Amino acid sequence: MSTTSATTSGSYTKTITVVTLVLLILAFSFSSLRRDTWLQLYEFFLWMETTPFGVIGKTWGAVFAIVEAFHLLAMALLGGAVVVADARLMGWIFADIPAREILDKTHKVFVAGLIVVLATGIFMACGVAGKIYWLPVFWYKMLALATGIFFVFFIRRPLLRRDLNEIRPIVVKLVAISSMLVWVTVAATGRWIGFAGS
Amino acid sequence: MNQFVYDIAVWLDNTAWSTLLHESYYMYNWVESIHVLSLIICLGMLFLIDLRMLGYALPNVPASSIANRLNLPMLLGFSIMVFTGLLLFYAVPVRSTQSVWFRAKMILLLGCAINAFLFHKRMNESVSSWDNDARAPGRIRLGAALSLGFWSLVVICGRFIAYDWFDCEYTDVGSLSQMLSGCIDGQTRY
Repeated sequence: MSTTSATTSGSYTKTITVVTLVLLILAFSFSSLRRDTWLQLYEFFLWMETTPFGVIGKTWGAVFAIVEAFHLLAMALLGGAVVVADARLMGWIFADIPAREILDKTHKVFVAGLIVVLATGIFMACGVAGKIYWLPVFWYKMLALATGIFFVFFIRRPLLRRDLNEIRPIVVKLVAISSMLVWVTVAATGRWIGFAGS
Repeated sequence: MNQFVYDIAVWLDNTAWSTLLHESYYMYNWVESIHVLSLIICLGMLFLIDLRMLGYALPNVPASSIANRLNLPMLLGFSIMVFTGLLLFYAVPVRSTQSVWFRAKMILLLGCAINAFLFHKRMNESVSSWDNDARAPGRIRLGAALSLGFWSLVVICGRFIAYDWFDCEYTDVGSLSQMLSGCIDGQTRY
């Protein structure tokens, strides 16, 4: 009885934390603080262009293009891991293989893909920092990426670490659908940066 | 040959739909976005299959399960990728056919197709003897590594098409670049 109460209490604590965080982000978004922070970041973006990454990215177009290609390849790796794991949660594929096996192994692939995505993304951002700063779609992508990372490491992963039989199937499916939507948004907004900046 | 390819490209370019697609900011960008998203699905599945064969991903799942189950989403992504790729080509046919990167990409895609055929043939012949092994035999691993290499180069060439470094109008007449791009008189009009 006491164990159940503790678990329930723990779940509520996490829920309250997440809801509080979401409310804080919303308050930030609709206040003047967002605009002030954005204006203060301009100096940082100008500095990014002066870093070695920024200089290389601006000077050698071929290097920038190759890094861009590896960014896309890493997104494919990350996307593959997300699709396979979420499709397993939905029961679309690998239904005969324990979900734990698929989730744990694809998470390693996901992390590897994410590291390359972040590393190549930072390089590219340095090369065109002065331009992307003014693009709303860049900030949408950053918001989507932050949401995706937060969702994976603070909601999806801790939740799915528990015995999957204890979690209501609808919750598992909602997690899978949310995960796919978040990462499709990350990829789509990322592609749109190229259009908006041209 | 270059003249023949050029004439077909000019004919395509003169069709109304090609111009409409090229001139439509949103439609062209949507097609390109779907091309990239389907590429992520297709290559995501392919990379997982290749990494499984190399022993880097899902080593406890039978290799045949990975290959067979991921084949369908991979082919679905591939089909959409090819369809949107054709639309992108149709929107800019003359510049594409005279691009050294586009030509390299087509050759590499041929390499991908041959490698995929050999990979599946070899796998189907022998998979029952190593299905549960963490790493596939040497010949299968070679096919998986070639697949990763070929597709990485396809993506790099695809990305390079967007850049104009070796476009006919920016290179010298008679240069190696112009020869590989198949530049002929009149191309720069498009």
